[in-house]
Amino acid sequence: MAEKNNLAMICIAILGVVTVAFGLADILVSAGGDGTGLSILEIPGDMFRGGWGGLIVLFAGLFYLSGCKNVAEVHNASKVAMGSVLIWIMAGTDIFAMITESIPGGEDGPWFNSLSGFLGTYAPPYTPAMFLLPFSLVVVYYILKQERTKSTTPP
Amino acid sequence: MKLSPDERWNLIDSIANQVVTYGKYRHTLKDAIGELTVKPMAGIPIAIAVLYGFWSVFGSFAGTLCTDGFFVKLFDGYWLPWLQEVFPGKGSWLYSILIDAGGMTNGEFILSNNCFEAFGVLTSGLFVAIGVVLPAIVIFYLMLTLLEDIGYMPRLAVLIDTVLHKIGLHGYAIVPTILSLGCNVPAVTATRILETRKQRFIMMTLLAIFIPCGAQLGIMEEVIPELIGYVLLYLVIGYFIFGFVLNKIVPGKSPEILIDVPPYQKPMIANVRRKLWMRVSSFFKVAVPFVLLGCIIVNVLYLVGFIQWLGDILAPVFVGWFGVPKETAGPLVAAFLRKDLAVAQLSVIEMTQYQMLSAVVLISIYFPCVATFAMMLKEGWKELIGSVAVLAVVVFLYGGIIHLIGKLIGVA
Repeated sequence: MAEKNNLAMICIAILGVVTVAFGLADILVSAGGDGTGLSILEIPGDMFRGGWGGLIVLFAGLFYLSGCKNVAEVHNASKVAMGSVLIWIMAGTDIFAMITESIPGGEDGPWFNSLSGFLGTYAPPYTPAMFLLPFSLVVVYYILKQERTKSTTPP
Repeated sequence: MKLSPDERWNLIDSIANQVVTYGKYRHTLKDAIGELTVKPMAGIPIAIAVLYGFWSVFGSFAGTLCTDGFFVKLFDGYWLPWLQEVFPGKGSWLYSILIDAGGMTNGEFILSNNCFEAFGVLTSGLFVAIGVVLPAIVIFYLMLTLLEDIGYMPRLAVLIDTVLHKIGLHGYAIVPTILSLGCNVPAVTATRILETRKQRFIMMTLLAIFIPCGAQLGIMEEVIPELIGYVLLYLVIGYFIFGFVLNKIVPGKSPEILIDVPPYQKPMIANVRRKLWMRVSSFFKVAVPFVLLGCIIVNVLYLVGFIQWLGDILAPVFVGWFGVPKETAGPLVAAFLRKDLAVAQLSVIEMTQYQMLSAVVLISIYFPCVATFAMMLKEGWKELIGSVAVLAVVVFLYGGIIHLIGKLIGVA
């Protein structure tokens, strides 16, 4: 059990460091004014998604780092879970923005987008939060599983 | 049958043993997350993220999907040209009021290209009400209802309590403040949750001056998306500065409160649907008639030359003190009827970006729309007169300060 917790701690700490790095990158890039892209990764340059959003990604990373030590303890687990919730807010709004862009056919086009245009909206590059999304889901799955085990174990 | 004290206690014990289940309390993950959201160190970043999510979904749904995606195309591409074509009497009073106020070039009547410029009741009026305001209001109230039903709003109230005490209010003032971002009218009623007359007066005055309604936000999102952040920043700063001043000068008490924080829970779809319907329908009953009536009155005022005359009279104040073109006098008059219409009118006036920013802030802090005005009157005429007096001072001072800031940073 202790070994499993140590492994979880290392994984969450790594995720925390990467998330903090992404958050800082978001803030620095948006402070520069222009967005930047590295093949499938896109860091937005506007103050809303890059600045404000970057700050949230940074907070998410700090939540992960502050809760990674002894994640079996409920208060630390709640910090890690909250880090994941912040990532979901960021990635969820990015995905929602993609959905709303993909449906209409554009200013001079038809009412609805063509199939290729619709699918093309979902192609990379993606924002950092979208890359962090699957990892945040795994973390929450682990925490919930642990919580379920605790609730079924007699005190 | 008379029982002795010992027999009574035995009876109580036996009943309690049958109906009470004893267990060991365990601090769950849900409890820990609930606590985390009210602690400032963790709660403030979470509140920042929730607000980000709120505005991102608001902009994507109302702006990108509904208004830009479909309604602009529907109204500008089909509805406006069709009405311009079939309605008789181009250039007449009735045509200008109902369809298109247009413009005159070399004695020839020129039709408008889009519903923002047409300013007819059946074109701009319907476009603003249905194409811009409806999606903005629906998504705003949906998000607000979800936050309420999940149990986040009381936590936000706890979190912001200390800050709001600095301006004479308490945590629950966040309810009328956020409601006001949807529509000022129900927000004025919601000020009744505050205990004292002083608190209600401060809240009513601040929301009438510094909180833009959902309709106005929807139009801002459409007309000046790049400036909306700066507009809101000016308004938030003004909210706290003038709140602080009002707290110092308005006599009365600002008592403490105890807030009951419920556990987080899954929202019930039926409740969400009912609340959403209630809020959206009441907004439409109160606000839409004012949008349409606003179009008529503003068009008539333009046609009789009143707005031109007012613009000429107020030109020294507008140009010299506020640093905006004198043409903004028209939208400012229109703002009394509907602030959203006024922002739409600003979009067709030629000015620099900073002048646009100043003008939109001025419209936001200018007189509350007539529906809010009527609601404030219902709450008490003394409060209304007080609010209007504060408002006049705030508009003059804050408008001048914004111009001064622009001059200092070299953009005005």
